[in-house]
Amino acid sequence: MAATESPERRSMGDRVYDAIFSNRVWRSIFRSGYPNTPRNQMLAVATNVFLHLHPTRIHRTHVKITHTFCLGGLSFFLFLGLTISGVLLMFYYVPSVDRAYEDILALETDVRFGQLMRNMHRWMAHGMVLTVLMHMMRVFYTGAYKPPREFNWVIGVVLLVLTLLLSFTGYLLPWDQLALWAITVGTNMVGSAPLLGEPNRFVLVGGFQVGQAALIRFYTLHVIGLPLMAAVFMTVHFWRIRRDGGLARPL
Amino acid sequence: MAVANTQPVAASRAVEARKRRQREEELLVWPDLVFIEFISAVLFTVLIVVLSVLVDAILLDRANPAVTPNPSKAPWYFLNLQELLLHMHPALAGVIVPTIALIALGAIPYYDNTTEGQGEWFSTVRAKLNAYVGAAVGTVGTLLLILFDDAQHAKLYEKLFNGSDTPPTVTVQVEEGGKVIDKIVKNPDFNEFPIAFLRNARAIQNEIPWPKSWTKVPLGDKLIRTDLLGLPRISLNINIPGLLVEQIIPVTMMIGLPIVLSIVAWKTKIAQTKRDHMILQFSGFIAVYVTLTIVGTYIRGEGLALVPYTIFAGDH
Ligand code: HEM
Repeated sequence: MAATESPERRSMGDRVYDAIFSNRVWRSIFRSGYPNTPRNQMLAVATNVFLHLHPTRIHRTHVKITHTFCLGGLSFFLFLGLTISGVLLMFYYVPSVDRAYEDILALETDVRFGQLMRNMHRWMAHGMVLTVLMHMMRVFYTGAYKPPREFNWVIGVVLLVLTLLLSFTGYLLPWDQLALWAITVGTNMVGSAPLLGEPNRFVLVGGFQVGQAALIRFYTLHVIGLPLMAAVFMTVHFWRIRRDGGLARPL
Repeated sequence: MAVANTQPVAASRAVEARKRRQREEELLVWPDLVFIEFISAVLFTVLIVVLSVLVDAILLDRANPAVTPNPSKAPWYFLNLQELLLHMHPALAGVIVPTIALIALGAIPYYDNTTEGQGEWFSTVRAKLNAYVGAAVGTVGTLLLILFDDAQHAKLYEKLFNGSDTPPTVTVQVEEGGKVIDKIVKNPDFNEFPIAFLRNARAIQNEIPWPKSWTKVPLGDKLIRTDLLGLPRISLNINIPGLLVEQIIPVTMMIGLPIVLSIVAWKTKIAQTKRDHMILQFSGFIAVYVTLTIVGTYIRGEGLALVPYTIFAGDH
């Protein structure tokens, strides 16, 4: 290393670099060295639990933005953003018909950055529905659902449904006129199914009308049930992409 | 002997060469991909923050079960189903069609299990052509059907064949019970759309003199054993004209029109392979989905009539 070659002439930069990256604390967290050589670059990806969702190498064409338009990645990014902003919203929101609306009003007026947090959550939710739909279209038109990726397409369809349900259950929570009536219209559609429609609607709404029982059901599904399911299916989705040999390529 | 020896060597050289070529076409995920992911994450974070600073999420009045807004709309991504609801039986639009659509969507790779056109945008010969044809037919077809069900063709006819001075109805004075009162009746000079039962789908039920017995055909309570579920027995009566308008015609359209499209595309050589047909149908489906959503969002106003709707309550 530089130190053994010319001990007197170590520059300030080298010493700062060594102090940050060549100590036991840093090395205990990141096992690979600084990713400036191919070996370390591959190790950086392979030894990091988050990065190792990726392979270490990837085909040239898949790095082109126009191949995926990053749409799957963006869906995932929005999911993460929604989780973070959603947790912050949960600090201020009580799912009770007596409080929910007032909590949202207070969030918008009394809580610092409350309105911003709510806006971000809402826009990301709409955005995620759009990116997931567009991701599905990109997968279709690049023929990426073909063998061996059939099952990952099916997982994708499940993720699409979960995304819509997440958005739908969140729609009720502000407990304003828009929320109440949109959910009434939506759940009435379920109720119109032959035979089992009405019992299903009853279970979903927890009664004959959208009220407290519906609010707590939608809330629970929205903050824990559906996100957990989505996380599980996303895990399988990403795992399958790697098992299927990365993104689809012309044969 | 020599041949037997060189053969495997040559083959393995070719494999080696292919492997090397593949390696050369590969990039390292760090930095090439991680960099792109990082930049787009930063970009979109900024975008979302800016959007959220500029545009507030909507919050209407406190929920009030006693006041039904007009129109009441589902969230925007379900307005396509709500639009369907206006044209067919609610069970069909609200449950059966979406369920079958999702199953069909999931089944795409099992139907089109060839490997042609894999891994590249529109890489088969007729891919783009089929996408355009599917999208165009889906959009135009959906719009035409919506306009038909809204009796726009009849309204157009009546506009063309009546002057502005012939209103469809007139007020006449009639004697009733010794008093003279105003009554609104049809204007005899008004040129009505002549084929009354083709005014819209519902007119098939209302304008055709169906035999009275057809509107209530009893099926008894033996058919559906709801008692097995602990529910009261249902005694079914079938309304044949109603069934025709609300279920048979819509189902025939939804299944028949895509089949007709594929047959025409096949005969005209627009779609020749499985992948061609898949692109045709998928593009048609997406176009129908988008068209229904846009109509449901922006041109369904009060009473869900076909009027421009600007305070798009479904979109906030
Ligand atoms: C929450 C929803 C979803 C998330 C977070 C997600 C995420 C991803 C990501 C990150 C990729 C890597 C490539 C890319 O970015 O395009 C991918 C690929 C893929 N996705 Fe999704 N996806 C979702 C929904 C869907 C849906 C709705 C479908 C189809 C119906 C689908 C089918 C696929 C397939 C088949 C691949 C492999 C593509 C290839 O090999 O080129 N995914 N997904």
